[in-house]
Amino acid sequence: MVETIVRTALLGIQYGMTLALIATGLTLIFGMLDVINFAHGALYMLGAYFGWVVASTLGSFWLALLLAPLFVGVVGVAIEVLSLRPLYDRNPLYHILLTFGFAIMIQGAVVELWGGQTKQIAEPASLAGTLTIGSFDYPMYRLFVLVVSTLLIGVIWLAVERSDLGILMRASAHDSEMVDALGIDVSKVFTGVFVFGAVLAGFAGVLLGVSRSVNPGMGFGIIIEAFVIVVIGGLGSFRGAIYTALLIGLVSSFGALVASTLTEIFLFVLMAGVLMVRPNGLFGATEAT
Amino acid sequence: MVLRAMGKRSNRSESDRSAIETVSRRQYLASGAAVGAATALGGCVGGSGGGSGLTVGFALPFSGTYAMLGESIVNGFDMYLEQNDGEINGEEVETVERDTEADTNRGVSVTRELLVEEQADAIVGPVSSAVAMAMMDTIKNESSAIWLNANAGDYRVTEQGCLNYHFRTSFNDWQTSAPLAEWVYNNVADNVCLAYADYAFGQNSKNFFSEAFEEAGGEVVGEVGAPLGTDDYSSYLTEIENSGADAVFSFFAGSDAVNYVTAFTDYGLNEEMTQTGSGFLLSEDTLPAQGEAAMGMYSLLHYTPTREAERNQQFVSAYTDAYDSSANVYACQGYDSAQAFAAAVEEAGGSDPDEMANALSGMELESPRGKFRFDPETHEPIQDLHVREVVESDGEVPVENKVVNTIEQVESPSWGCSLN
Repeated sequence: MVETIVRTALLGIQYGMTLALIATGLTLIFGMLDVINFAHGALYMLGAYFGWVVASTLGSFWLALLLAPLFVGVVGVAIEVLSLRPLYDRNPLYHILLTFGFAIMIQGAVVELWGGQTKQIAEPASLAGTLTIGSFDYPMYRLFVLVVSTLLIGVIWLAVERSDLGILMRASAHDSEMVDALGIDVSKVFTGVFVFGAVLAGFAGVLLGVSRSVNPGMGFGIIIEAFVIVVIGGLGSFRGAIYTALLIGLVSSFGALVASTLTEIFLFVLMAGVLMVRPNGLFGATEAT
Repeated sequence: MVLRAMGKRSNRSESDRSAIETVSRRQYLASGAAVGAATALGGCVGGSGGGSGLTVGFALPFSGTYAMLGESIVNGFDMYLEQNDGEINGEEVETVERDTEADTNRGVSVTRELLVEEQADAIVGPVSSAVAMAMMDTIKNESSAIWLNANAGDYRVTEQGCLNYHFRTSFNDWQTSAPLAEWVYNNVADNVCLAYADYAFGQNSKNFFSEAFEEAGGEVVGEVGAPLGTDDYSSYLTEIENSGADAVFSFFAGSDAVNYVTAFTDYGLNEEMTQTGSGFLLSEDTLPAQGEAAMGMYSLLHYTPTREAERNQQFVSAYTDAYDSSANVYACQGYDSAQAFAAAVEEAGGSDPDEMANALSGMELESPRGKFRFDPETHEPIQDLHVREVVESDGEVPVENKVVNTIEQVESPSWGCSLN
């Protein structure tokens, strides 16, 4: 019994960290740019496909993990500079329509280029096999994903909260006119944040494309969960997104144990419950970022 | 959720809301106008039927998740036509494609379009069972074409519809689950855990299997349903492992099947229990991605491209030559729909829907899957089902299905339908 609980908790944290990886980009972009990026899931999917192409042509997972996110970053630059920038001052509806349009276009392009068939990125040989914890076999690759995503999110957290860059980012979000007046090009900060979000989504795509299937629909599935996380955590709150991702990971994994068919409902019940008690989300409104 | 998001951040919630309303109303009007225009146009240039030539309407998904299935079905159908110079019974065959988008409303409207404006003599499709259930009334009310159901396997199409025009050129969900139960009981284990995607097809499959398995003398010791489209099966697998079963019967398809099978093997469950399932768990569309993780798993389906039979080998190589992709179960279902349509027209001596339906009832076809015939009571196929094991392959894909047992000429229950 105790073992089952420990194991379920571990699986829940693992799932939560992968969700955090995707929700982070979404919440950063919203927090800084005030843009709801519907294309985030599509960028995640694009990362997985680029990763699959690199891994299957060059035969190296590590190169895929390095190169694919950069390709997605280039796509991110194009989206931000060419289409999003002129629309920042407009009604958020424009952002939604635009990024939703990009999501559909990217999905269409992927189907056109690589077909609708499900693919998977080959596991690196050095991370094959399982690690035995008690009587439980834990796959090495999933452990790797857990460690990498935890480290990455830890670094981003420190950067946002403590570094000069983080202060600049938060300042630009808070009062971009003042930051502009102080001689800093705010539009560059915005581009940087958007591209960073895109790179992060692409990175998650490659990382998860090994233990999950790579298919054109993967982006739309994940974006719903990521949105739920961002809303529960408090829109634009980085800390809120991370805590909520972990909470949802745990709720899903224990939910699967208690009533497996209802796990999806738990998610939305949780959201409804939190929003009734705290309409701004767990960490919303009180925090600048 | 999105509405709330905008209201919260921008302090412009009122204007936002009105903006959204305007746009959606305008969009609605625009789309209405577009549909109107299309209908008017269709009315003018359509109506190819009547007199010379035959028309086949494809009501299939050509976009979205199921696009590959729709395309394969059309490929199979077209291949038969090309092998016969595009003619059936001396008449030229015209095909019209309509995208159902795997959406029920869309499915109904394209069916009506195909029947009324295109005057189709046969409807081929759909892929999704939900769409098939929605199409039933339209097909019945128009009564102007036979319906060659090339994939939608929900038994309720027969139970609730029981249409004389409906012919399953594919399979039903009972056939791809229940007959496996006795084989599993005799050859694998006397206890199983059930794992399924929690939607109609998954629920039907696990219910049919569970019923048949208990009838055979086995015991179902656990049951785990996961939402459709689950990405991470880790905690569901804990539950499956905790059941202590020696075997598991699973229903998952497409990317779910890839995620599930990969995780099953990653967590080493394949060393503790034998994986069995409906054929869609381990099919040509999932095996390339599942790879080595699928080794040694068993599944049941009515068509297997690697099955050694001359008729099948001819089909597979002709298909590869024509489309530069490998044949799959959907292509076979498309091909057989064409065969069924040809046989119906030839036997009836024309395209009268009632005469075609009477001609097809009880008719036997030589298919790449083996011979099969339409049950006169239900128009369900009476066909062989193959138990396949995933083995190593020397082909392009590292693994492939090998037929290890054939359950011959399986008849389905009639579900209260009696057409004869």
